[in-house]
Amino acid sequence: MASLRDMRSRIASVKNTQQITRAMKMVSAAKLRRAQEQIVNMRPYANRIMKIIANVATTQRVEHALLQTPATNKRLLLVVLTSDRGLCGGFNNSVCRFLEKYLKTEREKFEKVDCIFIGKKGADYFRRRGIAPRQVILNLAREISYTMAADLAKTCMQEFMSGDYDEVRFVYNEFKSAISQKLVAETILPVDVTKSEFQSGDNHAFPFAQDLIFEPAPEQMIDQLLAQHFSVQVYRCMAESVAAEHAARMSSMENATKNAKDMISKLTLTYNNLRQASITRELIEICSGAEAIQ
Amino acid sequence: MFKLTLVTPQKRLLSEVEVEEIIVPADRGELNILPGHAPLMTTLRAGIFRARLKGETEFKSAAISWGYCEVSPTGVSVLADTAEWPDEISKERATQQYQLAQSRLQDAGLTPDEYVMAQNKSLKELARLSVVK
Repeated sequence: MASLRDMRSRIASVKNTQQITRAMKMVSAAKLRRAQEQIVNMRPYANRIMKIIANVATTQRVEHALLQTPATNKRLLLVVLTSDRGLCGGFNNSVCRFLEKYLKTEREKFEKVDCIFIGKKGADYFRRRGIAPRQVILNLAREISYTMAADLAKTCMQEFMSGDYDEVRFVYNEFKSAISQKLVAETILPVDVTKSEFQSGDNHAFPFAQDLIFEPAPEQMIDQLLAQHFSVQVYRCMAESVAAEHAARMSSMENATKNAKDMISKLTLTYNNLRQASITRELIEICSGAEAIQ
Repeated sequence: MFKLTLVTPQKRLLSEVEVEEIIVPADRGELNILPGHAPLMTTLRAGIFRARLKGETEFKSAAISWGYCEVSPTGVSVLADTAEWPDEISKERATQQYQLAQSRLQDAGLTPDEYVMAQNKSLKELARLSVVK
């Protein structure tokens, strides 16, 4: 049976843990707010650029390699987004488990499937299972910048354009709300103009006039536009994943804080039981001692 | 008067703000856009973006790097890679970066791509410097 002193130190240590988890929750909440802001700030830009591309592609009848699915769809490049750090509930686990299954099914359809990992957790998990990454990118959450996304977008695009891969997909946790994340595998190359989710966004669509002035020519412009659009997409995926990570960490830390609270109350109850038992025992000893003297 | 939206991937500087006129660094030189401009779609170079807000006589300027400008009957949207107001720019840093880009341009061993990158960088820093002054 634990002594009173043991109990006291156990309660103290649980209290310390609770303090840590509570602080981590606060930090995640603050970071989540910033990440959410980033997503909101980026949306108008993404909306506009998608609308312009759709308009240019349809009215000017421009064709571009990035818009078309290659005839032989055989090689797939997956970009997997996880976090660098743990303690965020099922965030990384769900990605890894999903990807393991996904790889199995996709390997049957494609001749070659390769992965680029963003975040340490995913890369480590698959390295242990003997899947070598093409590239690993770290420190996403600390500094999520547009330039970083643009760099990755450029590499992906080069791989696609040179014919190394026929399709590029992103696997990441989509940020739904502060308490729920949804795991998605999204094809982002080739660009599908017709069913972009951004098209349903703010639609004050003005019919693109045929006599619209282009500077430079639309054929040249769509090249840059698509590259830009693709970088924005990559940036969006990163921002979503970071926001989802913070959200996951926040809720798991909240749970941990709650569990610690439950544990403290249980331990305090046992502690008080023990304390009373020892007082009663002492009283009985004193009484029986006094009786023995009489 | 028309509506202006100025956005970058990372922030929204102006959204649906009423302006009298704007001047953008377009593909073929400075472009002044007044109300009733013909529909236009152009790329932008690094340079100074200026807008005269509703009822004002002074221009408000910002340093922008590469982007797009779309003029439609409903308004103008400017999509820039980066855009900064003068109070967001540190003069020392811009000067330093400008000199760095300039010295890079002197380097003979640059590939054509790197040269263009350094050139863009120097243009961007120059725009930032001229906005601060």
